[in-house]
Amino acid sequence: MKLSCLQENLDRGLNVVGRAVAIRTTLPITNNVLLATDQSRLKLAATNLEMAISCWIGAKVEEEGAITVPARLLSEFISSLPSEKVDIGLSPQTKTLGLKCARFEARISGVDAKDFPPIPKVEEGIATKVEVEALRQGIAHVVFAAATEESRPVLTGVNAEFDGDLLTLAAADGFRLAVYKLPLAQPVSQKTEVIIPARTLAELNRLVAEQEEAVEITVNPDKGQALFRLKDIELVSQLIQGTFPNYAQLIPKSYNTRAVISVADFLRATKTASIFARDGSGIVRLVVAPGGEMTPGKVIVSARSEEIGDDVGEIDATVEGEEAKIAFNGKYLTDVLSVLHEAQVALETTNPSSPGVIRPVGVDNYLHVVMPMFVQW
Amino acid sequence: MPIRVLDPQVVARIAAGEVVERPASVVKELVENSLDAGSSQISVEVRGGGVSLIRVTDNGAGIPPGEVGLAFDRYATSKVENLDDLESISSLGFRGEALPSITAVAQIDMITCAAGDKAGTYLDLRDGAIANRGSQGRSQGTTVTVRNLFRKIPARLKFLKSVATENGHIANVVSQYALAFPEIKFSLFLDERMALRTPGNGRLIDSIVEVYGAEVAENMIELRGEAVAPSPRVAGMVGLPKVSRSGRGYLSFFVNRRWVNSRLLARAVEEAYHGLLMVGKHPVAIINISLPAQEVDVNIHPTKSEVKFGNERAVFSAVHRAVRQALAEQITVPRVEEIAVAYESPSGPTQAFPLPAQVHPASPAPWAPEVPTSSLPVLRVLGQLGNSYIIAEGPDGLYLIDQHAAHERVQFEKIEQQRSRREIEVQGLLEPMTLEVSPRQEAVLRSHYQDLAEFGFAIEPFGDRTFLVRAVPALIYNKDWAGMLRELLDSLSEGDKGDWAEGVAASMACHSAVRAGQTLTDVEMRELVRQLEQAAAPHTCPHGRPTMIHLSSEQLKREFGRT
Ligand SMILES: Nc1ncnc2c1ncn2[C@@H]1O[C@H](COP(=O)(O)OP(=O)(O)O)[C@@H](O)[C@H]1O
Ligand SMILES: [Mg+2]
Repeated sequence: MKLSCLQENLDRGLNVVGRAVAIRTTLPITNNVLLATDQSRLKLAATNLEMAISCWIGAKVEEEGAITVPARLLSEFISSLPSEKVDIGLSPQTKTLGLKCARFEARISGVDAKDFPPIPKVEEGIATKVEVEALRQGIAHVVFAAATEESRPVLTGVNAEFDGDLLTLAAADGFRLAVYKLPLAQPVSQKTEVIIPARTLAELNRLVAEQEEAVEITVNPDKGQALFRLKDIELVSQLIQGTFPNYAQLIPKSYNTRAVISVADFLRATKTASIFARDGSGIVRLVVAPGGEMTPGKVIVSARSEEIGDDVGEIDATVEGEEAKIAFNGKYLTDVLSVLHEAQVALETTNPSSPGVIRPVGVDNYLHVVMPMFVQW
Repeated sequence: MPIRVLDPQVVARIAAGEVVERPASVVKELVENSLDAGSSQISVEVRGGGVSLIRVTDNGAGIPPGEVGLAFDRYATSKVENLDDLESISSLGFRGEALPSITAVAQIDMITCAAGDKAGTYLDLRDGAIANRGSQGRSQGTTVTVRNLFRKIPARLKFLKSVATENGHIANVVSQYALAFPEIKFSLFLDERMALRTPGNGRLIDSIVEVYGAEVAENMIELRGEAVAPSPRVAGMVGLPKVSRSGRGYLSFFVNRRWVNSRLLARAVEEAYHGLLMVGKHPVAIINISLPAQEVDVNIHPTKSEVKFGNERAVFSAVHRAVRQALAEQITVPRVEEIAVAYESPSGPTQAFPLPAQVHPASPAPWAPEVPTSSLPVLRVLGQLGNSYIIAEGPDGLYLIDQHAAHERVQFEKIEQQRSRREIEVQGLLEPMTLEVSPRQEAVLRSHYQDLAEFGFAIEPFGDRTFLVRAVPALIYNKDWAGMLRELLDSLSEGDKGDWAEGVAASMACHSAVRAGQTLTDVEMRELVRQLEQAAAPHTCPHGRPTMIHLSSEQLKREFGRT
């Protein structure tokens, strides 16, 4: 293997695939990054067996070849180099990778590329495309609601339902549910439902941040794999096996009280209250008060702590229905309010022990259901 | 008594059998012989896991020239004469079986010199027969060397484990006898490396230092051992709860100084620790029971490692009482009384004694935690050590805080406080979760699911062995609370009559606390320390382990030789 490429391209490529490098592993080679010539490009790849990322960068290839070397080491070395041309050569007998850039030279001993876990090819299954901005929003609106605790593995994933030209993403952790609908740029022939690890989608969202082209998605439920193809980057993820809860039945069909309030005001009041709530489990109490003839309705946001004291904030609201009292985990409120772009949000409640629903006003592709905390009023 | 071959009548009564199972059995038999010979120094040398060589040298009585040959005959012994003697055996050996058994499976030679003899006798046996005999000078005592053990029995050789494992067994045998006989100087060399040496000054604690190390030794307390007739005399030392171990390997029992295995005695000790140890933990104990030889039968097992007591009940309760008393005394020493009071036992008076983990040895080690007072000074966080400990500075020196134990304490008090005010914070589940339990767990849950409501679990029965969980305590909503519930039900169905409510609170505290190994930000550490400062009993976690170690400025100075 003999080639040259630009330092900044190699640096960027190593950063991209670096997110898939295994950290704690029983398979040491997954700490390595694969370098392989691929026609007139250099392919970089890493895998932690749940997720694999490959990235292609432009290179002048003189001699084909492949090798794996420790990812951290290579990436730290490359990032410290000046942005000039990097010459890369492999000595096949010693499996040593030689790197040369400006007046720096390094040799890194590697492990045979044949020993690297093969990165699955996802070819069969359903194929579709999604506009990048829609995908970005979709992921951001649901991924935080997935469970981080592993006792119910399906909840650590995001349920993705491909149906005609619609993709529905849903995540739930047992206490809250987020559902987001987005259009597919290319309809699917067959309705398909899979669970994608939330960690993979969070990674994907970082990768798509820098591109404008639509993302190609191939899903193979039989093999339990999904491929996301970006410009010069491919991400392959294992799918989570199992059945996602039937969430449609968890969405309340009606409400007794509905308050429309400013997202920014609600977020600020919740954050302030959360400071006072942090001694306990972050309980934020909401009182929704309908307006009178002359007075506007309001939502009173409060928290109290035995040691620190208490905090009360008021927000103007348009209230429909009766007065309501409900308490939520403050983090659940700030999580959802922080991803909303809309100016206003509707909070729908039935009673203090039934789920509340949060919907941005003006769009109907997102909803968020939160289970309250039970407190003494 | 001279060595003689036992009458066939007596032979028929001894529980004979195979004594040489592995190299450690040879060491055990030879050391027992040296002990029976009244030695004050016993040195054991081992090579190749005991297969290449085992040599035991003592300064005991030795064997007169005329009797040496007889020692290798089957059922030849100097320790028992007639049937009556079997009823009250006071020596460790009594069957005249060990030396001939070893001879059958190895090459063996002996140099021995009895008191008053001018020269020693040298004897060399191969294939069970005397190959060489002569006289050789040596001082009083006996050296037995065993070579090529099992060389001619490949089947047995194959059974042996690695050299390291066999060495481990051997070291254990020598250690046990070193603990049983503190007045004897023991030394053990494994492949030329000194593995153990005891001073032989008669003080058990000094043997413990050599065998288990200073850390364990510092936390050992003495049993008072006065005998209340008709029960036996119980003497020895036991470890404070904080030096508990996860196996029973640290329980040593001796009956009239014979090392024995006994489930009865293990149970007596463990029950004395009831409520003081975490589940799955076992105490450290070295206990000798002295009782008239007629009251114990040692003649029931080929390797003599099991005994039968005439009055099991009396032995059991004597041991139980001695250990319990020693533990109880320790925790009422004035210096620790303060935390015993500060430790608010939620269960009220039913708890026998909330034992603070930290009780001070006579001379505290430099790293021994400071005498705790009930409140903490204001601490400044300096950093995190090994992702497990918070390093903090106080007005008087350094504090090392165990982040998990500290957070457990904070959470425990929070839970107790919320519960007493009936203000437990509860998080509802979006979809009720079904909890399937085992038949044993079901029985416990059926009688307790309403009590669990006090802690924030809304649980209701839902058919066969299934329950519906509708809400969980907010403190653990994002933890594996289902796993926690199952663990809790298991620990309670295992016959643990401990306080139910305290168990639930401690379990919730444990599951909601940060783990060891978790990186904490500066803000998180400061917050945790601030909460710990406000805790009522900041020095111990709910299980009684210490949350912190304090190294005073004074101690620091002393350690650095600046005074
Ligand atoms: N180290 C020793 N010092 C003195 N006498 C010994 C020693 N080892 C063995 N003997 C003598 O040899 C005899 C036989 O030993 P052994 O076969 O172990 O039988 P036992 O110990 O049951 O009597 C003992 O009774 C004792 O008289
Ligand atoms: Mg013997």
